[in-house]
Amino acid sequence: MWHRERILLLLAFVQSVLVVGWCFTEMEAGPGAAMSTQTNGDRFKIEGRAIVPGVKTQDWVSTARVLVDGEEHVGFLRTDGSFAVNDVPSGSYVVEVVTPTYRFEAVRVDITSKGKMSNVLFHRARLVNYIKTSEVIRQPYPLQIRSSGPHSYFMKRETWGWTDFLMNPMVMMMVLPLLIIVLLPKVVNTNDPEMRKEMEQSMNMLNPNPELPDVSELMTKLFSGSKGSSKAGSSSKGTRPAAKRRGKHSGASRAKKLSMQNNNADLDSWDQ
Amino acid sequence: MAELILLWLKCIILYNAVDAVFEDQVGKFDWRQQYVGKVRFSHFDTHVQSSKKVIVATENNVFAALNTRTGELFWRHVDKSGPEGNIDALLHHGQDAILVVGNGRLLRSWDVNVGGLNWEIVLDSGSFQKACLVGQQGTVKHVAVLKKNIISLHYLSNGHQKWIENLPDSETVDYQTVYSGGNGEVYALGIVPHSHIVIIAYSTDDGEIIKQISVEAPWLSNIVASCAVIGQGVLICVDSATPSLYMYNLNPNMDDLQMTQIPLQSLGLEVAPDFQPVLVSHQPNSAHQPLSEFFLQLGPDNFLLLQFNNGQIVTLRDFKPALLVSFATTGEKTIAAVMSPKNKTACSINLFSAETGRRLLDTTLIFVMDPNGGKPEKIYIQPFLKKDDSVGYRAMVQTEDHTLTFIQQPGRVMWIREEALSDVVTMEMVDLPLTGTQAELEGEFGKKADGLMSMVFKRLSSQLILLQAWISHLWKLFYDARKPRSQVKNEVTIENLSRDEFNLQKMMVMVTASGKLFGIDSKTGSILWRHYLNDVPSNAAFKLMVQRTTAHFPHPPQCTLLIKDKDTGLTTLHVFNPIFGKKSHVTPPALPQPILQSLLLPLMDQDYAKVLLLVDDQYKVSAFPSTKNVLQQLQEMASSIFFYLVDSSQGRLSGYRLRTDLSTEQIWEVVIPMEIQRIVSVKGKRPNEHVHSQGRVMGDRSVLYKYLNPNLLAVVTESTDTHQERSFVGIILIDGVTGRIIHEAVQRKARGPVHIVHSENWVVYEYWSTKSRRNEFSVIELYEGMELYNSTVFSSLDRPHAPQVLQQSYIFPSAISTMEATLTEKGITSRHLLIGLPSGGILSLPKMFLDPRRPEIVSEQSREENLIPYAPELMIRTEWFINYNQSISRVRGIHTSPSGLESTCLVVAYGLDIYQTRVYPSKQFDVLKDDYDYMLISSVLLALFFATMISKRLAEVKLLNRAWR
Repeated sequence: MWHRERILLLLAFVQSVLVVGWCFTEMEAGPGAAMSTQTNGDRFKIEGRAIVPGVKTQDWVSTARVLVDGEEHVGFLRTDGSFAVNDVPSGSYVVEVVTPTYRFEAVRVDITSKGKMSNVLFHRARLVNYIKTSEVIRQPYPLQIRSSGPHSYFMKRETWGWTDFLMNPMVMMMVLPLLIIVLLPKVVNTNDPEMRKEMEQSMNMLNPNPELPDVSELMTKLFSGSKGSSKAGSSSKGTRPAAKRRGKHSGASRAKKLSMQNNNADLDSWDQ
Repeated sequence: MAELILLWLKCIILYNAVDAVFEDQVGKFDWRQQYVGKVRFSHFDTHVQSSKKVIVATENNVFAALNTRTGELFWRHVDKSGPEGNIDALLHHGQDAILVVGNGRLLRSWDVNVGGLNWEIVLDSGSFQKACLVGQQGTVKHVAVLKKNIISLHYLSNGHQKWIENLPDSETVDYQTVYSGGNGEVYALGIVPHSHIVIIAYSTDDGEIIKQISVEAPWLSNIVASCAVIGQGVLICVDSATPSLYMYNLNPNMDDLQMTQIPLQSLGLEVAPDFQPVLVSHQPNSAHQPLSEFFLQLGPDNFLLLQFNNGQIVTLRDFKPALLVSFATTGEKTIAAVMSPKNKTACSINLFSAETGRRLLDTTLIFVMDPNGGKPEKIYIQPFLKKDDSVGYRAMVQTEDHTLTFIQQPGRVMWIREEALSDVVTMEMVDLPLTGTQAELEGEFGKKADGLMSMVFKRLSSQLILLQAWISHLWKLFYDARKPRSQVKNEVTIENLSRDEFNLQKMMVMVTASGKLFGIDSKTGSILWRHYLNDVPSNAAFKLMVQRTTAHFPHPPQCTLLIKDKDTGLTTLHVFNPIFGKKSHVTPPALPQPILQSLLLPLMDQDYAKVLLLVDDQYKVSAFPSTKNVLQQLQEMASSIFFYLVDSSQGRLSGYRLRTDLSTEQIWEVVIPMEIQRIVSVKGKRPNEHVHSQGRVMGDRSVLYKYLNPNLLAVVTESTDTHQERSFVGIILIDGVTGRIIHEAVQRKARGPVHIVHSENWVVYEYWSTKSRRNEFSVIELYEGMELYNSTVFSSLDRPHAPQVLQQSYIFPSAISTMEATLTEKGITSRHLLIGLPSGGILSLPKMFLDPRRPEIVSEQSREENLIPYAPELMIRTEWFINYNQSISRVRGIHTSPSGLESTCLVVAYGLDIYQTRVYPSKQFDVLKDDYDYMLISSVLLALFFATMISKRLAEVKLLNRAWR
């Protein structure tokens, strides 16, 4: 609430200043010719400097422009990187340096003429915040806009390399058990009956958790769809308690199917 | 904090969602052409002998340097459009170019080599008249600027003002020009029309008035039009009434009060009737005096080279016929170039010595005029000294259709710039015709069955033809591969144009403001045909319609361009073939009445041309083509043909229905009070748009049906009160058939310019919020609800339920120049918004960011629906720029067109530049990606094959061994 009042006050102040400014210029307008060229009527200028670290200014200034509030006012960069946008009335502006190669942050500049009947200017530069428009984080004025590097326009291609392939977690998961299967019999003497017993036990331990869905079963259900075939699918694996899982799985697979249809129907899906 | 997390989440989500350009795709599907506009001033850079630059300042407020060898841009500076960036004068000295911008608002100095700004200063207010360089003792150090009431002198090095003086009696005297002969004085020349000339000499050092004189000249009305300064400061004027030349010596020690009159008859000359004679003088170096030779134009095709010698005027040479003349200087030599017509299609340019008027040998250059172009308008000569001290030259010819042609002796065209393309008004993309073989194949499906055997035979024969074509293609590939790459030419010409497999290559028909039409190949960007319409009024509005596509083979495709004079409303039609650019033999109807509205109906006549209806100001309708067949169809359909008219000057929208006798009746009217708001734009949907899905599946498996009214109009209004507290932007959705207002929304504390896209069941618009000083997007979506009223057909007359309206707004962190939505063949692909930014980028923003169903609180259902949580600020990511670093200046329009592939949309952005590319809003789901790794897949397949072979063999061996055991 307090904020709003303050803004209103500020607005009123700006307006009054503007009015004063207008009176002032009208008075000056008559002989005008011999007065200083610093300010032209109620028009002001925005000054600053753009810097691209490590790059010669000559290489990029010819493609650069300074845009004030879109294309409302346009300025150009001097050969040393400095710029001045002339002929801007008082107000609040977003100033951005635009080049196709380098990225610059936009800055908000507020211009108000300070005091009565005087031509002293008050420039304030701050970070652009479109959400909290009244928030002020001061920036230096005249502007010092430093490039934060080149624009990134391109996506990286997914390249295929042996290291990528080998470091893939899925491949690791496949390769490691393979190694174990191949190498373990060589290391451990399988002819020893005690050892064999122990191994059988551990193999039983490794058997998949009955609560987890089975891939092959899921696939058969997906493709056949009907309940009858789901029985057939589950019956191929006779050792596990199937009755409990059957209902669950068919439900899950149906949901999956539906969601797939969803995806097909509406390609808006954004996490593909 | 929560905001931050949301933002972060958004980033992560977006990263997956977005398909950007890959670096290796640069230039593969896209091209850009950069233009500067109609040239107003041009200078060759003569600072260095071997310089390849020509600097141009144009009517589009562009200042650029072109490469004279290739015609490409070295650099280009695009100022603000409109009168504030208008370039009033261009002065060139050494490596500096001085510009006066915005009616004398700014004075700028550019470094021509680098293309950077040296300095810029604000000039005092006052309307600009003339500027000139001021030299002293052989060097140029100052620039003088003459305004309506002041004259000022500035240093060339830093722009600082040396002095400024008020011009005496500036209320009565019209000061028009300023001159300096390099002797330490600056002359301001003013005139009181039909009374006297005022000449004021200022001292260059301190601005002191050395001399002030008024000379009687009751016959003179404009100095700039009929006077020039020649020789040692002699003002020479020409008067067509007497007809005679008048001379006055500006030198301060002469004190005549009269101008010397030399009747033209005494020189044996005669002025062509009704022609205002023109004088052309030349000052090779601002530090020195102008030449004492000058051109006098006595008729449209008659020039004279005259010399002023000791108070006498001598005729050096009479050029008749001559179209254009120009002076040029290289080193110490000044030459006069004269262009004269040779025959109907060609002109010849010859050089003459300026001092003697003698023709220089071997300097003839032939300029072949394009029969589809305009007449030559200006000629710029770049002379150079050859090794044997003779003069060689190149010439740049500017024609009426804004074309720049750069020619070299003896007439080789080095480059052509079609600057008319800097001002494209409207465009269409037309499918290319099928080749003979393709047409044969298509024909097979079109015909009715005539027996099994013949069908089989036809099928086989067409397959044979295909095989033949394929083999010849392979052979050509093989043949080309043996030749060195530079020799292989893959040029597209009109003859070998044909549709490609997926209809990705199309003909871009572009209409420019100057009245020149272009046909451009969308794949390469090469101009295939051009056609200049001579009689286009300067303030014309254009509408381009495709009446017949290439699909109806023996009939040629047909486009109709409607050219309407904005002042009188009178309209002419230009009917042409969009593939070849030739004017059609179909004669368009004469339209004596102003035309208010035009409609392209889906009806076709017996020649498959769509019917164009034109409504004149008496509300009478005329049809084109208007054969009996068409009129009969119209009578049958009349009761279902509705149209609307917008009268923005009175704030009136009205709907009409066609009667069977082709008269109309008004059926509805909506009046928007003019005192409060005015209609800015009315947008319907695009007629070639398809919507694939009728509804959206919600998280709970129900369907929300879209309100797909093809007759819906979006009307944008702006308040007349521009005060930032009271201004507003209104949007009204009206059914165009019934006039029923479907929805009305008002954005308070907002002002235009409003950019709007209307498609499917949504309207997206952008405006400036005066309260928060930012650009905001708003989206309106219309839904029928959970049930569809009549799912088979939509009728505006039978839709009892009002649609549900959802709306949401967002902050957009940049101003925008234009906006358009992507368009695909069947509308299955998700939509993106293409947004042209002032920075030159074209942002491809997925429509799902502008979805009023974006929830503030994420729920299970919204997640299942793939809704992105609401965040107030939309982001601009440079990865979304479809044109990467190929910025497009002043984007005015974006044209989207479907291709044969559902995933692909063809995009053309035009403004000062033209950019063409393809976009894949849902990625390339229907075609293998261009980086598809054939090598990997085939090597894996081969490896697997061999692995099976080997393992099979091993297994056999193992079995055998076991059997032996």
